[in-house]
Amino acid sequence: MKYWINHNGVQSGPVDLEGLKEMGLTSAAYVWHEGLSDWVKITQLPELQGLYEMVEQVAEPAVTGQPLESQPAATQPAPAQQAPINYQQPETPEPCPPTNLVWAIITTVLCCIPPGIVAIFYALKVSNKYREGDIEGAKRASETGAWWCIAAIILGIISMPLGFIMMSAGAS
Amino acid sequence: MRRSLVIVLVLAALLVFGVVYFALDPSTSGLFPRCTFLSLTGYKCPGCGTQRAIHALLHGDVAGAFRYNALLLVAIPWIALCLYAESRRLRNPRLYALLNAPLLIWLFLAMVLLWWLLRNIFDW
Repeated sequence: MKYWINHNGVQSGPVDLEGLKEMGLTSAAYVWHEGLSDWVKITQLPELQGLYEMVEQVAEPAVTGQPLESQPAATQPAPAQQAPINYQQPETPEPCPPTNLVWAIITTVLCCIPPGIVAIFYALKVSNKYREGDIEGAKRASETGAWWCIAAIILGIISMPLGFIMMSAGAS
Repeated sequence: MRRSLVIVLVLAALLVFGVVYFALDPSTSGLFPRCTFLSLTGYKCPGCGTQRAIHALLHGDVAGAFRYNALLLVAIPWIALCLYAESRRLRNPRLYALLNAPLLIWLFLAMVLLWWLLRNIFDW
């Protein structure tokens, strides 16, 4: 079964159950899947029990009771475009995509390898684009930055034996 | 839940690293990897001395840690704050946006590059 998610005003999907687990959802999320007439709170679907974290409900106008025309049509596979209008104008702005800044800093300080600095640059790019309102660009930079962090970690690990070899070569 | 499993694994790994870096001194033990950048170029990288600094920190020697790698002392609280914000990115987007403001990232980047340059000039 494929699920569409609306979490804090951000829509995503379709994802399967495995993908849903990875998303770090909270009980404030809304879910839709084929066969449902409208978005429901994640807490209302028994099969998703335990896949989200309970949070206190923030006082917000209810989004469930939407007029009929904004409901996703059950026959259409792409309800993301048919979302209730409320979701598109969330009271809180869309959260910034991950900048991976922590991992960039950690790899720069620990891994002794310049890719961490490239990752910091990408964190900067994400942040700048997000502030310009270019969410898509920010997401792309976020993904590229994540790959640089992974590259930094892998390079750091495979370069360790190299350091040993250089050390013994220098000692002899 | 998967999230708590990850947290437990990370804490376990940190504990193991902590014990190893407490018990063994990277400046005398041959077990620790040496910086590849330093080996290849002869110049220190921004992270050189981190292992010795961690060892010093675990023994309560803050001044020693500062001598080995001053950047680490600045980075640790920064990392802690960012990790906290990262874990609450969706629930507290404002804190996340604040800590990831372009100005702050520039500041860190400038600090790293300046530290890299100066430590090679003055042999810090």
